[in-house]
Order: sequence, then C-alpha cells, then structure tokens
Amino acid sequence: MFNDADCLRILEEAMSTTADFAEVFQEVTESKSVSLLNGQVIRAATGFDSGTGIRLLAGTNSVYVYSSDNDLEVLLKLAKEAAAAIKGNDKGQIAALEQLCKTTKSQVLIDPMTTQKSEMVDFLRKSSDYALNYDPLITQVAGSIAASTRTARVINTRGVNKEDTTKRIRLSVETIATKGNEKQSGRVAPGTMRGYEFINEYPLIDKTRECCDTAIRMVNAGYAPSAKMPVILGNGFGGVIFHEACGHALEATAVGIKMSYFTDMLGQQIASPVVSARDNAQIDGEWGSYATDDEGNTSSDLLLIENGILKNYLIDELGSRRMNANPTGCARRQNYSYAPTSRMSNTYICNGESDPKDIIANTEYGLYATQMGGGSVDTSTGDFNFAVNEGFMVRNGKIAEPVRGATLIGKGQEILKNIDMVGNDLMLSAGMCGSVSGGVPVTVGQPTIRVSSILVGGREA
Amino acid sequence: MDIKTAEKFMEKLVKAGIDYGFEECEASFAQDSSMSIDILKGEVSSYENSATSTLSFRGLKNGQMGYCSTNILSDDSIDFLLKSAMENCEVLNDEDPQFIYCDEDNKNLYFSQTTEAFAKNTYKRFEELGLGLEKAILALDERIDAVDILSISCGTGPYLIINSKGLHSYRDTDGISLVASARAVDSDGSVKSGGHYWIGKDIDDFDQEKFLKKFKDNLIGKMGAKSVKAGSYKTILRNEAFQQFFMVFFGNFLATTMQRGLSLLADKEGTAIASEALTVKECPMLEKALTKIPFDDEGVLTTEKAIIDHGTFATALYDLKSAYKAGRESTGNGFRSGSAVSEMPTNLVVEAGEKDLDGLMEEVGEGIMLTDLSGLHAGVNAISGDFSLLCEGYLIESGKKGRPVEQITVAGNFYDVIKSIKSVGNDIINLPSGEGEFFTPSVFVGELAISGDDGDSGEGEEY
Repeated sequence: MFNDADCLRILEEAMSTTADFAEVFQEVTESKSVSLLNGQVIRAATGFDSGTGIRLLAGTNSVYVYSSDNDLEVLLKLAKEAAAAIKGNDKGQIAALEQLCKTTKSQVLIDPMTTQKSEMVDFLRKSSDYALNYDPLITQVAGSIAASTRTARVINTRGVNKEDTTKRIRLSVETIATKGNEKQSGRVAPGTMRGYEFINEYPLIDKTRECCDTAIRMVNAGYAPSAKMPVILGNGFGGVIFHEACGHALEATAVGIKMSYFTDMLGQQIASPVVSARDNAQIDGEWGSYATDDEGNTSSDLLLIENGILKNYLIDELGSRRMNANPTGCARRQNYSYAPTSRMSNTYICNGESDPKDIIANTEYGLYATQMGGGSVDTSTGDFNFAVNEGFMVRNGKIAEPVRGATLIGKGQEILKNIDMVGNDLMLSAGMCGSVSGGVPVTVGQPTIRVSSILVGGREA
Repeated sequence: MDIKTAEKFMEKLVKAGIDYGFEECEASFAQDSSMSIDILKGEVSSYENSATSTLSFRGLKNGQMGYCSTNILSDDSIDFLLKSAMENCEVLNDEDPQFIYCDEDNKNLYFSQTTEAFAKNTYKRFEELGLGLEKAILALDERIDAVDILSISCGTGPYLIINSKGLHSYRDTDGISLVASARAVDSDGSVKSGGHYWIGKDIDDFDQEKFLKKFKDNLIGKMGAKSVKAGSYKTILRNEAFQQFFMVFFGNFLATTMQRGLSLLADKEGTAIASEALTVKECPMLEKALTKIPFDDEGVLTTEKAIIDHGTFATALYDLKSAYKAGRESTGNGFRSGSAVSEMPTNLVVEAGEKDLDGLMEEVGEGIMLTDLSGLHAGVNAISGDFSLLCEGYLIESGKKGRPVEQITVAGNFYDVIKSIKSVGNDIINLPSGEGEFFTPSVFVGELAISGDDGDSGEGEEY
C-alpha cells in the first residue's frame, strides 16, 4: 500500500486542472481455491492481484483511470492524463488527510488463508463420498471452497483515509442426478465473512443429502404448467426476486439518470402494505457486509421500504450529485478495474406475520418455488425473469407434485404490489451480483412470501 | 509494463521453475490497455483509461499441473508463484495427465494484428462521434425519451507464452466497440428499451446511418408490444437470438464437459445430432473476423473445422488434456479462463442458407420471430438442454412481420430444437463471443412452446 505522502502526490496531480473531487483506491486481493469432482481434486489455485484506480469528478463528469502497475510514476502519469480529460470549471481543494482508519466486518477465528488446502480437500471429500453412495441416480458430485482476503484503501480530497478488510469464504456442493437423458442438479453454496470455523461447523452431510434429494426429485419431476397463477416463494434465496425486481431499480445507477421505474417515488406506495425491506451492510460476519464502502463511507443499515412505502434509495457519490441527496455508504466495485457505483449488500424483505404453513394452506392452486435460480431485470421497463430450480404444485392448500423447468416473468413494479402474504421465517442466502461495477458478494433474503399472480412459463400448456 | 520487461521476467521464471523441481513449466503474460467514454445528456459523463496485466505460471510435477497468478513482476513474485504452484501440485490428484507443449516446427510464432487505424481512437474522436450519435438517436422518433447507455471503447492486448520446452510465441489484437441503448415512452406511458452495437477495427468503418436504421427498428419497432396467447408457435430465432441461444448450450460441445459426463453429446461424435440444414464451423483465421487466432493459450496451432457438418456432430473442441484422454490431437482450443486452461471456441460461423429473413418469414406463414432472449444465465438447464426464457419479438402473420410481442416465455429443449431446424437464413451478423466472434444468420427452428397472457382470463387464473 502507498504511504500518505504518495497518495497526496497522486491527488495533487489529479486536482491540477478542474476536478472538484479526486479519490485514490488501492486494492490488494489474495485468493485460494480447491475444486473436487467425484472425489478427485481437479483444481487448486492461488492468486494475487493488486492495483490502483484514480477517480476524478467535476460535477457529474467523471474520469476513471486504473492500472495493475502500482509504480508511483506510472500512477502520476495516469493522474495527469485524467486531469487533462476532466471537464470542470474551477480548481478544487484538497483537505488535510485524516489519520488512517482501519475497519472490517469480518469475524474470523481461523483465517482461511492459513488453512492448508489438504484440509479443505479432506472436508470436501466427505461430501463426495456420501453423495456418490447415496443413491444410484446420483452420478456426479462437485465441491469447492474458495477464500479471499481483500484489503481496500480509499483516500480522497475530502481528507478521507480508510482501509477496509474483507475476508470471505464460500463453499459449494452440487450433485447431479441422471435418469436416461435427463440430468438435474441440487446445489448449496453458503458464503460468509467468518473464518474457516464456519466450514468446520457446517452440517455438510445433511446439506449434501438435501442436494441429492432435490436433484433426484427434479429428475423425476414433470414440467411446470404455463399459466398465470399464485406463486409462493420459499425463504432465503427466494429473495432474489426482490433483489432483481426492486433492489436494482432503487440503485442510484438507475434512479440518478431517471432510468428506473421507481424514479421520484420516495414516500409513495410502491409495494403491498405487508412489505418492508432493508439493505443492511452492517451485519457482522455476513457474506454481503462491509464496514467501509469503496468510497470510504461507513456502511449503513438502510430501510428501503416500510409497509409498502418507498423510504430510501441506494446512493453513491456520483448518484448523490445527480440526485441532490446524501450518499448512503453503498458504493462498491469488484476490484480496482471498476469505478464504484451504488450496489446492494444484504438485501431482504423483513419478517411478516404469517406462518409459512398458513401461506400454503391458504393457497387453493399455485406454484411453490422452494429453490430459485438466478434472474435478471431491465430497470427501465421492469421486465424481469427468474428460474425456479425446485418447485412444487400446490393444490387445495397442500404441497402436491414436484415440477421443473419453470421460469417466472413479469414487471417488477407490479409484482411488489401483488405480494399478499409475508411469512415470519426470514433467512439470508449468499450470492454474487453482477452490474456495472462488476461482480460483488451479496446476500438476498426473505421469509416465505406469496405473490397473488405471476406468469409461470413452463413447457406444459 | 512493457512486453520486453515481461519477457525477461518470464524467461527467468521458467528457468527458476525447473531449478525449483518442476518437470516442465510455462509462463504466460496477458496485457490489456483500454480507453472508453460514456455519453449522457449531451456530455462525456465518464472517461476511462487503463492498463492491466496478469502473469500466470503453471508447472508440472508428478503428472499434476499447479497454477498460480499475480500482477506483480518482482523477485518476490517468483518465489510466491513457484511455491504456490508447487503446493497446488501436491494437493491435486487428477487422474488425467496434463502437458506442457512445444511443436518444434511452430515454436516461435509471432502474429501481430494491431492496426495503424488504432491511433485514430482518441478521446476527441470518440467524443465527437458519441455526441453526434446521441443527438441523432434522440432525433429518430419523438417518443425516444433518453439515451441511457452510449459507450465507445477500444482496447489492445498482447499475449506472450514461454515454456521450458522451448515455446516462445506472441500474438496480439485490437478492436473498437460501441454500444447504445435508449428508452422510448408511448402515449399510454408504457416504456420500451432497446439498442444496438457495433464492433470494428477502424473507427472510419462505423456507418452511422446503417446503425441508426437498425437502432430504430430495435427500439421503436417494439412500441405497443403485448403478450400473446400461450401455445405452440412456428418460431424464427432472429440472428442475435440464435447466437444467444446456441452459445448458452455451447459448453456441451467441449470435450472436458463431455468427459465429465455433463454433456449429452458424449460419444455422439460422428452421429447426426441436428437437422441437415445446420452447419457450424470454427474458423480461427477467418478473413473477415476482427480477431484472428493462430495458436491457442497452450501454444497449439488452431485449425479450421466443422463442429456440426450438415447435422452431423463432426468434432468436439479439445485442449491438450482432454485430447490425450480421448486419444487424439488437441484441436487448438485450450484457452485460459481465470487461472486454468479450458476449451473455448474462436470464431464460429453458422453456414448461411438460401433465404433472407423475409423468405424465412414467408416459409413460416403464421408464427413468431424472437429477437431477444433474457435470463440466459438462469433459465436454462445447460445439461439437459431444457430452457424456459423471457423473450420478445414479433408475430409473423401471413408470412410477414406482424405486431411486436413482449412478456412471453419460450420453452423447449436445445437438442430437440437443433434437430427440428427447418431453414437457415442468410442475414449473417457478427457478435463478440468466446475468444472471437460468432457469425450467424436467423434460423427457423420449427415449433416451440410460448407462454403468454393475452388478457383473456384463461384457465390458469381461475383458482
């Protein structure tokens, strides 16, 4: 990492023309991973990446330059180029640097970077051995553990001088069931900002069995029907619906340029009154957390929706300039090769009052999506889509046959209004979110919820 | 970091690798320099300039290949790379041997395809082009509300590979891309978004008039789109949609996927898997391609070949490891993704048929033409081939393009679709894909299941 004096020199070079703000982001990331396929260790990798990004702002005009070469002369040259490209009116000021402040939301007892890969292999092998002997239909089992330590330093012309460290570890187990030409999978992929103790405590065999059961159920399942119907979304990763259909449309990236269907709607009813939602980056040890964002702001626990009323947007520095509002500590980037922008962290629909059992019992006919795949949304039109990895039909208030191949589609702004029951079994689930500033770790979450009507695209008419 | 410095470091690293105890070892260096601007509301809202590089090392010990990568080229890095790669070798127990390769007749390859035209890619030139284009887009139709995305970028990057067997080869490329997307609001308040892209090597080749025509078609053509009644429809996947569709299942044509039992195409080489109308070739040195790839990331020469030849699965793509396992030669498709090598395609070409798009629609008569598929990362089962995807497009009525459709899903199975292809068009476009580009026309794929909601209260809503 650079010392304060070097950073100041870069800031001075960057501010030599008409920028009103400049920021140096320096990052060092170490990573390691092992992957097993059917008990064989097929991949073991180690990586080290570091680099620096320099951002200049003049109003809403931005210039971003970055390099994996951390040589001071190289960066001074880049800063000079950036200063030549920025389009402001006046020369800005540089405030005195604060004392370096180091933060973290990781809660680590055993640092995964010191854990031997052989120990990780032994752990994953237990899952392989179990799955391959579980049922003749299970033909493949893949497992991996990936750990990383990212240290990010932010220094800017307002005097900010922060360094945030995030240590993350993620486990993945995927089993595949084969029946004739059909192959279906079951998967778990928990992630955390705790240490290797998380892996040691993980109920690996129980979870491997659940993966096998899902894969077997789905390979034996018929196709989902195609129709509009009530859909019950299971807790945990079901929250991806909120992440895609609502979360992205609340980011300043979309709202700041009035490209979101939720633009200028603060204080308005955008969801059913049973819906409240938060974006909370401050949960200790949670996969999507961080103490300081990639602009040097303290992270926040933000109320997004309260009883259906829109309360807050996710705002970064550039977004704050476009929206004339304060940043909310949500600026993130995959690494130094991206300028930061507004992103989600741990985003979830809050607990409601319904017992999940009652939600099912109150549904005459519909789809119960217990495990969701990914999805995407167009934040200007609201068009979204989600894949259902494991689903069941609900008939007469009871869970009926399993179905596969379902996709849920609709308009985000409509779906939120159609949530008519919210359970009390909130759970968070780890994932990766891709957007303009790259892939960042996030959790999605929700209790069991019911949407009164969604178009289910299946293969049976 | 200049390439000469990297070259010296790599030579030192490979030598040190052998001294460290690797049986064979290899270093590769990839660099990327790029510049881009974004236009928003009559201004350059963002400018980016970058130079990044990655040094990857791999070493062979007792048949296991250990990998490690870094971006710092110092003596400390040599220790880190060798130690980490050796530790990785020790933990691996892959039953399939891996190789460091050198073909004595082709061990010092040099292939530069950077162009003098690259020097035209200045901030000023991009700014002029971008601002003019934004204005022109807004002037296309009064319903166009804003240009949300307008990004112009260019990049260039050398790739150098050196190994202990004597391989020392270099290739590079450069290119420009332009992406634009706008939003249009109809009188009833409904919003549609749409756009277009361009890729090329010379900014002077950008044809704004042609671009705008297609842009307008992609955005304004969608206005007033509605869902359709669910049912089975004769379907054309327009060129972009066919590329999206084919590439999401392309992993099934890779030897490693097949050998791991994750592709239903395993053991199908030489057999009919698709309609006779379908021929897909891989052409690494295709004349019209922006990026030509003479050798892969393992130093193996690439070759032109059919992957699907008139419906017959001619060959999978192999790298050194999967080729050895299959008892055959590598097809020159070993490319680095992350730290490891795996098979990737270079330039892919779907052979054109006789008819243009109008001809295909005439053949369909009554049906649907899909122009864009969404949620490809989620709505498919890459193994079974099942898919159910949000999509949009147009109805085909009496053999002509009809009204636009949205809020529908298309479902089916990849393997069934390629078997049921009726006709391949000749309206070839090129899109960036894999290590190169994908050249494809529109394809009439037979009947597919469409789910929609035409507003009538169907049976599904009665509960």
